[in-house]
Amino acid sequence: MKEQKITRRSLMSAAAGVAAFTVVPRHVLGGAGQTPPSEKLNIAGIGVGGRGAGDMQELESQNIVALCDVDWANARGTFKRHPNAKKYKDFREMLDKEDKNIDAVMVATADHCHAVASMAAIKRGKHVYCEKPLTHSVYEARMLAQAAREHKVATQMGNQGQAGEETRLVCEMIWAGAIGQVREVHVWTDRPLNGINNVYWPQGVDRPKGEDPVPDTLDWDLWIGPAPMRPYVKGVYNPFVWRGWWDFGTGALGDIGCHAIDPVFRALKLGHPISVEACCTRVNDETYPVASRVTYEFPARGDMAPVRLNWYDGGMKPPRPPELEEGRKWDTNGHLYVGDKGMMLGNRLIPDARQREFGKPPQKLERSPGHHQEWINACKGGKPAGSNFPDHAGLLAQVVLLGNVALRPALKEKMLSTKLLWDGEAMKITNLPEANQYLQREYRKGWSL
Amino acid sequence: MAEKRRTVSRRDLLRGTAGAVAAFTFVPGHVLGGVGSRPAGEKLNIAAIGSGGMGASNINACSSENIVALCDVDDKNAAGTFNKFPNAKKYNDFRVMLDKEDKNIDAVIVATPDHTHAVAAMACMKRGKHVYCQKPLAHSIYEVRKLTEAARQYKVQTQMGNQGHSSEEIRMLCEWIADGAIGPVREVYTWSDRPVGGDPWSDFPIMARPKETPPVPATLDWDLWLGPVQYRPYHPIYCPMQWRGWWDFGTGALGDMGCHIIDPAFWALKLGAPTRVEATTTHYQPEVASETYPRASIVRYEFPSRGDMPAVKLTWFDGRLLPPRPKDLEPARRLEGNGAIFLGDKGTIMHGSHGAGGVRIVPEEKMKAYKRPEKTLPRVRRGQAGHEQDWVRACKDGRPASSTFDYGGPLTEAVLLGVLAMRMKDTPLEWDPVNLKVTNVDEAQKHINPPYREGWTL
Repeated sequence: MKEQKITRRSLMSAAAGVAAFTVVPRHVLGGAGQTPPSEKLNIAGIGVGGRGAGDMQELESQNIVALCDVDWANARGTFKRHPNAKKYKDFREMLDKEDKNIDAVMVATADHCHAVASMAAIKRGKHVYCEKPLTHSVYEARMLAQAAREHKVATQMGNQGQAGEETRLVCEMIWAGAIGQVREVHVWTDRPLNGINNVYWPQGVDRPKGEDPVPDTLDWDLWIGPAPMRPYVKGVYNPFVWRGWWDFGTGALGDIGCHAIDPVFRALKLGHPISVEACCTRVNDETYPVASRVTYEFPARGDMAPVRLNWYDGGMKPPRPPELEEGRKWDTNGHLYVGDKGMMLGNRLIPDARQREFGKPPQKLERSPGHHQEWINACKGGKPAGSNFPDHAGLLAQVVLLGNVALRPALKEKMLSTKLLWDGEAMKITNLPEANQYLQREYRKGWSL
Repeated sequence: MAEKRRTVSRRDLLRGTAGAVAAFTFVPGHVLGGVGSRPAGEKLNIAAIGSGGMGASNINACSSENIVALCDVDDKNAAGTFNKFPNAKKYNDFRVMLDKEDKNIDAVIVATPDHTHAVAAMACMKRGKHVYCQKPLAHSIYEVRKLTEAARQYKVQTQMGNQGHSSEEIRMLCEWIADGAIGPVREVYTWSDRPVGGDPWSDFPIMARPKETPPVPATLDWDLWLGPVQYRPYHPIYCPMQWRGWWDFGTGALGDMGCHIIDPAFWALKLGAPTRVEATTTHYQPEVASETYPRASIVRYEFPSRGDMPAVKLTWFDGRLLPPRPKDLEPARRLEGNGAIFLGDKGTIMHGSHGAGGVRIVPEEKMKAYKRPEKTLPRVRRGQAGHEQDWVRACKDGRPASSTFDYGGPLTEAVLLGVLAMRMKDTPLEWDPVNLKVTNVDEAQKHINPPYREGWTL
């Protein structure tokens, strides 16, 4: 009888026979339960509207067994696509009830719920795919990376660009010495503004007064999750535009930084910075600024020179390099790598004549089967995904989110007089003790990591 | 004869259009042997165009003289000044004032919004009046050039309202740079927290043109307020305060503060005209971007080498964006709301707003060790607080004031070229200062001298 109960599912959950002990780490049990490549994973989704809907479609080759969203109107499309999946509003309830039926979880909630949802899944031994930025705070990112390592689950952050050819080319060009030592990198985006025609989401605005009735389809208390409670106002937070609010989103830097800074991290083998410096347009305690400039300083790594990484958002750009030929587009989002022996705009040398002369760099990196597929493979015992939490995404997210600490309105006055000196190992800002409070946030009662 | 002599009044002498030729307003001063000077004890007769706001403060600073006529298109905004000088004649239209009071006025203070500086200042100079004009000198680069030329042509005493130029500190900066205190300077950062200022929330509108058409207040002559700018309906979002944020009327944060903050570098480094200017700004929708200035901008100037001074890159940051902290700056040393940093081959200098206020070599230990050179530049009495009075003095003794249009003109041209680069954001502009021509971007050229509304000329 006993043996009968040890199903494929309970084996895969990595807690076979001890399924009741949700925090038993995988290594105690001899490693993560693996689905043979020929079999399908059973995947649950937490936050399945918006970007989450796209992620779920990328995972459709597997079994979609359960779907959770606090906003059933926003999740309607995904719900309809998977009529047989069980539907939930509260991911805690879903994980309780479906524990045995789930191998892996996709998390694409608003930023402020990433960590609690991902951590709950990891602690149950579930593999986790979590949208970028990995978390809302630096501390959370570090904790998730640690937990993923401890529980030996397969993880992947949703910065899909890491799986692309572009990222590999940047690495291979720089490693082939195309521009010599790189000492300065500029990364820029027009977010939170969308080109010159639109706004992705508002920043630099104040909290609206008043309160609207919460739609029947939305569980506002669950939407707020671990953040401080505030009244629901239609169209201001949910869906999507939560990105501009300190309490929920991570602003332009959090949104795009994990995409845009990822290739820089890989190509230059970056670790923790030693300092971060920031300035921005007007900012208040409610929303991120309309535009900011953040500069990170990284120390030398092996034989690679120290490097300054300059981030611009809100449509601000670095100076157009004279090397870029007249008439060539100086785009609203981009990367400029400045080396001792030349410059690269994205993955190509400028001027283009230099790229043609240099040609293709030797291929050093394996190509990806696709970002979501990397994770699926990892869940089935393949090699770790390119943006797994312990080896890569945890660190990248910490560094990106550290930039937001430097933009905090309460520190703005102090930031006129200093930059933040960062001890990455100790996760500590060493020269401005009060800044450390923004590395981690207190959760609302009833929520924990 | 006796009668004739009587008509050569003290007033005529002072205006530089003495006696028998007083009727010919275009006779340049030099034909007549220079602007009439006056016995030291006598007072100037001063009129003002734009009497509220900054004008009020400029007028008060000249109240040692006779304030004989005051003009403003907005009776309400000017009420404070109007009441303070009950004996001055009051006008709404400066053209009427200049016609009627021509013989009674020696000198004019112009402190209208930027878009009417040029027409007002030019009308005064053509009548041989000395002019104090607020910064930026004008709204378009072409206007600035014409005012600069006119000041020379009519030999009137001029002063731009960048009062910092009269300061002690700006002279110290020039002397230190000339002394080689930090070696050759190749890079300068300048910045302003405008349009936000010290307040958490900006007062500059960033918006599309308003559609509603509220009634014009009885105290305002809207048509005159618009002056040479193409007609649009009245809205309180333009006046009295917020015109600075609109392309058609103001010149944004850079136009507002650049003439103060770039001034020290312009003088100390003898910058002259840039060869290349590029700006980047926050993004905004076309219907907003075509009307108002951005929330923040970074403007990058390149100045060529001058004599034995190397080429300089000068960068402007506004909207609370700041330059990178230079290595020489001690930890915990504050970047003020407005300021500049000079990066020399042998050191760094930092100063604040308005005439290099608080100028220091950094770090402080280098400042303390520095042996300051002789003070060689002439000082202005009472420094920056004496800026208006320096002009009053110039009008009386004929020795130029500290920031004549000959200086303020080229400074303003450089500033306004940066403003133009903001309009053409992310496009480097190559500049031919002799011909006032952007040589590489045709689209930019139409903003050098935009057409006036019918009935207005320079």
